[in-house]
Amino acid sequence: MIAAFCILAPIVVGILLFALPRTSSVPRWVGVGIALATLVALAANPNASDATLRWLQRPFTASFHVGFTGPGYAIALLLALVTVCALVALNAPRSRDFTINVLFLEGAMMGVFLAKDLLLFALFWDLMLVPVFLTLVGWGAPHGRSAWKYLIYNFSGGLLLLLATAAYGAIYGTTDVIGAATLPIPAFPGAAATATPWILAGFAIAFLVKTPVFPLHTWMPETYADAPSQLAAVISSVQSKAGIYGFLVIGLPLFAPQMHGVAVPMIVLGLIGLVYGALAALVERDVKKIVAYSSLSHLGLMLVGIFSFDELATRGVVVYMVAHGLFSAALFLVLGYIEAREETRDLARLGGIAAINPRLAGALIIAALAALGLPGLAGFAGELLILTGSYRAGLFWPAAIALVPIVIAAAYMLRAFQGTMQGPRVADLPERRDLTWLEGLALAPLVAALAYLGVNPAPIASLALGAMHTLGVAAR
Amino acid sequence: MEHVVLGIDGGYPLLVLAWLAPLAGAIALWAFGPRVRSLGGPIGAAICGVAFLALLPLWNAATAIGSHAYLFSTHSNGIGAAGASAVASYSTNASGANAAAVSTLAGIHQSLVSWAPGFTFGLLLDRLSLVWALVITGIGFLIQVYSIGYMTGDRAFARFFAYLNFFVFAMMTLVLSDNFVGLLVGWGLVGLASYFLIGFYFDRPSAVKASRKAFVINVVGDIGILFAIFLMFAAVGSAGYGDVFANVAKLSPGMLFAICGCLFIGCAAKSAQVPLHTWLPDAMEGPTPVSALIHAATMVTAGVYLIARCAPLWNASEESRMLVGTIGGITALAGALLGLAQWDIKRILAYSTMSQIGYMIMGVGVGAYDAGVLHFLTHAFFKAQLFLTAGIVIHALADQQDIRLMGGLRTRQPFAFWSMTLGVLAICGIAPLSGFWSKDAVIYGTLERGYPALYAIGVLTAGITAFYMFRLLFVTFFGTYRGAIDPSSLGIRHPELSGQAVEPAHDHHEAHPTSILMIAPVAVLMIGTIGAGLLWIAGWRDFFAPAFAGAPEGHGAVFLPELGSTILVTAVVLVGIAIAYVRYAAPAALREAIERLRVETVRMPAPLAHAFYFDVAIDALFVKPAQALGRLAGTVLDPLVLDGAVRETSIVTAWLGHLARSFQTGLVRAYALTLVVGAACFVAYYAFGAVR
Repeated sequence: MIAAFCILAPIVVGILLFALPRTSSVPRWVGVGIALATLVALAANPNASDATLRWLQRPFTASFHVGFTGPGYAIALLLALVTVCALVALNAPRSRDFTINVLFLEGAMMGVFLAKDLLLFALFWDLMLVPVFLTLVGWGAPHGRSAWKYLIYNFSGGLLLLLATAAYGAIYGTTDVIGAATLPIPAFPGAAATATPWILAGFAIAFLVKTPVFPLHTWMPETYADAPSQLAAVISSVQSKAGIYGFLVIGLPLFAPQMHGVAVPMIVLGLIGLVYGALAALVERDVKKIVAYSSLSHLGLMLVGIFSFDELATRGVVVYMVAHGLFSAALFLVLGYIEAREETRDLARLGGIAAINPRLAGALIIAALAALGLPGLAGFAGELLILTGSYRAGLFWPAAIALVPIVIAAAYMLRAFQGTMQGPRVADLPERRDLTWLEGLALAPLVAALAYLGVNPAPIASLALGAMHTLGVAAR
Repeated sequence: MEHVVLGIDGGYPLLVLAWLAPLAGAIALWAFGPRVRSLGGPIGAAICGVAFLALLPLWNAATAIGSHAYLFSTHSNGIGAAGASAVASYSTNASGANAAAVSTLAGIHQSLVSWAPGFTFGLLLDRLSLVWALVITGIGFLIQVYSIGYMTGDRAFARFFAYLNFFVFAMMTLVLSDNFVGLLVGWGLVGLASYFLIGFYFDRPSAVKASRKAFVINVVGDIGILFAIFLMFAAVGSAGYGDVFANVAKLSPGMLFAICGCLFIGCAAKSAQVPLHTWLPDAMEGPTPVSALIHAATMVTAGVYLIARCAPLWNASEESRMLVGTIGGITALAGALLGLAQWDIKRILAYSTMSQIGYMIMGVGVGAYDAGVLHFLTHAFFKAQLFLTAGIVIHALADQQDIRLMGGLRTRQPFAFWSMTLGVLAICGIAPLSGFWSKDAVIYGTLERGYPALYAIGVLTAGITAFYMFRLLFVTFFGTYRGAIDPSSLGIRHPELSGQAVEPAHDHHEAHPTSILMIAPVAVLMIGTIGAGLLWIAGWRDFFAPAFAGAPEGHGAVFLPELGSTILVTAVVLVGIAIAYVRYAAPAALREAIERLRVETVRMPAPLAHAFYFDVAIDALFVKPAQALGRLAGTVLDPLVLDGAVRETSIVTAWLGHLARSFQTGLVRAYALTLVVGAACFVAYYAFGAVR
């Protein structure tokens, strides 16, 4: 029931908020409250039972079946936390409508990560695109075409996902299979053999677009740059995990043989994204795009981890998903603070802010250090587990190549930090006030979680283990 | 899986205190720095002192060694198992010579956390980590006391001590970890502390650039260690020292060499070994106490620690000893040669640090671990002293760092002169000062173990070292003061020829009187500079004999006895000093000092002036291509190629976007309506389905 609460409560409260005046600041704090409620409900009930409501009988059985898979639980926690932080940090105009969108987004994404039915998963998948699209249209950069680009790419993926789900249901007779202990026996074995690779292809393309993976990533830098920072924080942090999560809880258990078949091209794509994103971030001048390209790089690493089919690497992927969610949210929130103050994101026009705003500089360096994989913070733990596992699984070259972007990450993250904060103060930047306590409060839980998981990622890593028997990973 | 832990497992609150107190200090000073202001310095120094004192009572436990091994094994989930029962299982799980080598690394062990099977974390205090921990906290304390005087009046006074405390914590993490991942965490964090402190004056572009360079090169080293962890984990299923060392016999020679090679990449980056040394001279952008603590005494010797720690690996791999010894020798020579060409007092000391660490690496690399570790200890004293003395000079001369603009300071700053003289004599290896014993032991250690070429390099480098260090001493302190003359008459208008930054450092621009807080720590360090080397004849080898059991011994057939070698080295050193005297301090040389310095500046050989072109090469080979590829990705591939396919679709939908924007105001409401209608449809369908 907790899962159903986490999905429905934000959406219902979001609808109710329309009753409040548009200019009121109350909705924002109601939003914080409800997001906090979902966070507490999740954290307090790690073993909550599933909620099931039978929904379709023909042509296949499907249910409103929600509950926790190990990795899904981890991401749901992340989502609730990031939603709280984003709403606390909110500085966009028309805060009521923005809050409503963020709550709808939370509910829809909860649906994605807590659904245990493929059809439900696919429906929430499409649903989670809508609030992002509306926010991009309503609050994004004027004349930006990122909203449409976002929608075209991701709805195309979503459509394939829906078709693949329908085909899966038609052949196997049920879609209630996510996190299931036993896999369904196909009703039509002959058709299953022919169609299963195509079904996986449908899922995989949707996941690859959503993640995104090179060369399907071009919607991402523009979307993240155009989006208001609080939205960018939520989507880069959580929505980008939907594809990786899909591979983890749908791809691996349901399509294990086919997944092994496509491992090599997937690892190659992951590696290309890993290096490509890092190199692009090295010369980019828009700080938000630097973070966007770094995301491309980090998500490529997660793809490599999944397709190593190694227990340790899988644990690492779950840790890294959460770690990346935490630090990319923190980065976008801080960049939002900077953008709100200086009204630019161009490295060439920023500089020396640390002299005036030392606390803001402190916030940015912590987020940047987590992103560049500083040992002792959560990102490092994820990278270490993924790569050690991949290497152990026999992926010598991928593990070796994946080390190079770690060096580049140090260069581009420090370039972004130093370009904004250090060096001589850029003359035409007016003095702004330093980080407010509210802005700091929005970052504090993210930083605390990064530090805690950096010292001890075991609680998150073991969530991968909880679902390991269904992950199709050979446990050692 | 059997899990082998070095040291007696137990609860050691003092060890945890010594480890975490500096972290607490760092966080507190960082958060409340602006409030405590000038108290930040004393607080920071006191915390470091507490950490030092907390280690002392652990001496006996950490160095105790019995007739039986303190090696124990337990199942990987059995953290905190009693040591006594574990000792019993020793004979059943470890075997042969390697077990003996491992078992003698006794000490105390405190368990911490476990990430996953094979990744368990704990603290290990044994003889090796004890020496390092005492130097880190002890010299760290002295340098923080000195910094209270040196940094007085700085805008970010408390933040400086926050960083220093953070550094001490990070370095303690590095040396106290009982596994390679914990070591790597410390390894990365000291790099971060170094980054913060090099870039302490972050409004200076040169400091910003130098700090980034240092960090990025150090990450290159980090990934070397990371890859070594992959190799070790794949081979033995764990990253713990005990697990790895107990299984050395199972590793093939090729695998051992690969592991040692990857670990050494980390050492090379952190300890400024060729070709990853270029960050160290630039790191002198940091305040001088930082150069003394981090870039001379402690952090840059982490590579020496790692190799000494991994003695069981190096013992088993002849190729690794050859590789590391050779790189160490090359670095010792290259650092000394580059030291010849510098005019900035801190850069001279930086290159001499690089050169001396080359000696240490050469020593531990060839298997003379005890000699290399002693050189670490003596170097920590005399190099910290030299840097702090340089700091006194710089401080008194309103941040002048160019020795050509000094001269004649012998009478103006007698304390600095005598302190510098003592330090220079020690680094040159003049008996009976500390450097004599340790350098002699390292140099002879290479010959003993059959590396005559390295021996020759060691002797030659000793001579060059004597020359450039006495050049520093003579040019700075002898003759007449040149601070008031036109720099161009010294050739200083040609920075591109002298290969160094001529703009003076800008800590604070006024001249300062030397505070007692700056003199007292230097005086304490002098004790070590004079006496630390005597440990060599006071049982140093026996103390470390258990830690380095199984080290390669001398071949016996050495053509030169130890005394002969000592005489040879001393003679070469005296020749170096004599040449320096004739060139810079003889009465004739002093008369035409200005002309001589000008000529030397202008005619500096190009390879030396450009530091053997390492920076140029790294830039051309790695930095420029990476940037070009990045530009290709971000400005050509992304927008023009990959996006081309969607471009058509976007144009088609442009009018749709226009339409949507006109709806903007009512959009959220429309969307809510859609959602409600959609939900109603689902409910209706469900009801319909249920009825059927």
